[in-house]
Amino acid sequence: MIRVEAVRWTYAGADTPTLDGLHLHVRQGETVVLCGPSGSGKSTALRLMNGLIPHFHEGELDGAVHVDGLAVAGTPLERLGRRTGTVLQHPRRQFFTDSTETELAFALENFGEPPQHIRERVAAAIDEHGLAAFTDRRLQELSGGQQQQVACAAAAAHRPPLLLFDEPTSNLSTAAIERFTATLRRLRAAGATIVIAEHRLHYLHGLADRVVAMRDGRVDAEWPGEEFATLDDEALRARGLRARTAPERTRPLPAYAHGPSIDHDATPSAPSGAGLTLRALRCAFRGRRVLAIDEAHLPAGVITAITGPNGAGKTTLARIVTGLQRHDGEVLLDGRPLKPARRLRESAIVMQDVQRQLFTDSVEAELRLGVPPGAELEERSRTLLADLDLEPFGDRHPLSLSGGQQQRLVVAAARLSGRRIVVFDEPSSGVDRRHLRSITGIMRDLAADGAVVLLISHDDELLAHATQQELRLRPLDGHRDPDVDHPTKRPGWYGMGK
Amino acid sequence: MSLTLGTGSVESAPPTAVRTRRTVRLDPRTKILLVLSSSFVVMAPGGQPFVPAAVVLGVLLALTERAWARALGLPLAASGVAAVAYLLPVALPHPAVGIVAVAAAFALRFVAVGGVALHLVHTTRPTELTAALRAARVPRAITVSGAVMLRFLPAIVAEARAVRDAMRLRGIGGWSGLLRHPLRSIEHFAVPLIASTLRVAEDLSASALLRGLGAATRPTTMRPPRFGAADAAAVLVVAVLAAVTLLSGAVR
Repeated sequence: MIRVEAVRWTYAGADTPTLDGLHLHVRQGETVVLCGPSGSGKSTALRLMNGLIPHFHEGELDGAVHVDGLAVAGTPLERLGRRTGTVLQHPRRQFFTDSTETELAFALENFGEPPQHIRERVAAAIDEHGLAAFTDRRLQELSGGQQQQVACAAAAAHRPPLLLFDEPTSNLSTAAIERFTATLRRLRAAGATIVIAEHRLHYLHGLADRVVAMRDGRVDAEWPGEEFATLDDEALRARGLRARTAPERTRPLPAYAHGPSIDHDATPSAPSGAGLTLRALRCAFRGRRVLAIDEAHLPAGVITAITGPNGAGKTTLARIVTGLQRHDGEVLLDGRPLKPARRLRESAIVMQDVQRQLFTDSVEAELRLGVPPGAELEERSRTLLADLDLEPFGDRHPLSLSGGQQQRLVVAAARLSGRRIVVFDEPSSGVDRRHLRSITGIMRDLAADGAVVLLISHDDELLAHATQQELRLRPLDGHRDPDVDHPTKRPGWYGMGK
Repeated sequence: MSLTLGTGSVESAPPTAVRTRRTVRLDPRTKILLVLSSSFVVMAPGGQPFVPAAVVLGVLLALTERAWARALGLPLAASGVAAVAYLLPVALPHPAVGIVAVAAAFALRFVAVGGVALHLVHTTRPTELTAALRAARVPRAITVSGAVMLRFLPAIVAEARAVRDAMRLRGIGGWSGLLRHPLRSIEHFAVPLIASTLRVAEDLSASALLRGLGAATRPTTMRPPRFGAADAAAVLVVAVLAAVTLLSGAVR
């Protein structure tokens, strides 16, 4: 089905090739997982298979790629598109229309299928992928997990023999990952050839026919699925891979909190001491209440995970404590009431889409922005850059860095900001094992310096490593099953649903 | 080569019953025609007498989509603006008031046409609009780029909001900063905005191209637009409104 032979690929403007000496054959009907550290070329390898390289991305390509018997370089993108279905990392960014039905029809319409046929296919896809419950909602209002379901269905609607997934679970909750696994299983049983680039490996157990570890743009090692299942953690670490089994979540201590939005069985007695105190907190969007906390304490010096299904108000709570969101009720820091404008000056956030918060023209300037200068700062930023593997890039423009490097840069800036409230919003999406550790280390350092550290994440591995306390939220319309993803019904962190 | 998922469910699957709301739906081409014709008549020199007819049309359209607030608000807004334009100068004869009244008379035409245009915006999905334009034989270069624009504009707005939030957190977003270092403030806003919208645009266009947008094949439509009874009724209503306006002797 796929033959990649001696491929060397350099993105336009890059000094070093991203792929170098890549050989990879995928048989028809096979499910292959591509893994490896950040920057090893996983996503680039997928682009090779759907023709985005060399037809969409610019650069220099040597070697040969054949997909379903077609030479990729000599075949127009639309012809390749009929044979491949691709799901990108952020489903919401790839939707072209605003409803499930039109999104599923999009490829079929463009490929000129007869209307009657399109309607049948769309109806069948809604059925197969279990989308009937949200056909009447706007795509941007769906939860991350639901958007992922629609994106999978839309990629498969024209029944391509080859399906490609780029880090499909990076923003999914455990329940959503289970649904996604079921989708994969169904597609695989139907005979599709599947290639998945992924960091999180535990959900793929029993699904992968072959696991390919990449490093420096080529295949570093590969195992048949059964053999991979017997590897120990040591062997995985040596290849820079994440754990194969889901980490055991020992339930961390619940934070002191009560109110309609709080989903704790028991809550410790009222604490005292430094940190954030919330009183009679209420927040509504367009008349619909999304968060109600009677009282809560988020202590300084501790990493508190804010968990709960999508739509429970995690992001809203983070926006409130950092002063970005209007609300009713009171927020106190170290016992003193603080107005939103003051909280803005006490807060830092590592956002999901970090490009939105890189403002300057060099890595070093980015770290200095908004921080009082001093010899100590120089010293600290140097160590920090070394810890995060950013040392060689001090003079580089932040936008010329890779996604993972940009994310670590924003983490470093948050570390140096000296702010008392620091929020990490899904900081581990697309992060490999080593950097997962270094980011966790920075969160601990921040806490040790007396900051209130809040972590919003669906990543069990990160939560298991980092969490010291948990504030579990639940959606306010209580008749729904709390295990199911809920619609966000409002524009996410900053305008767009996530 | 193609895949078959499920077992023959394609034939047995019921037709999608997605549109459950019972509202009168006009063909998108009719809606475009209504907007074009009402703006042409109302905005033309001497178009003032057609303002009441356009407002009535806007209210009727709002009623068909059950937009009660607009059905009520549109005539209120129009009469408010009309009062400023025609009654205020009589009650308060003053040159400044005169200027305001002239501006209001001009704004009145926009209110009237706006009611009709809002109906188009609120009831037409981008894909429907593209399909309708395609059916009306509008060249593909226009329909494809129009569809991309419609999809992309809200994304830019969302990114801009996010960047503004990030700036507020970094303490570089305030008015004081803008006044003291205007150029640097603009840079701090524009650079991340361009970077993040470019990324969104890249994902969007990659996904759209892979799914055949702009392919050489002539695209089809899941639900080809069709003129129906509602469209005939709309034409009739417009004819009656125009006739009443003309016969009332308001147009000389």
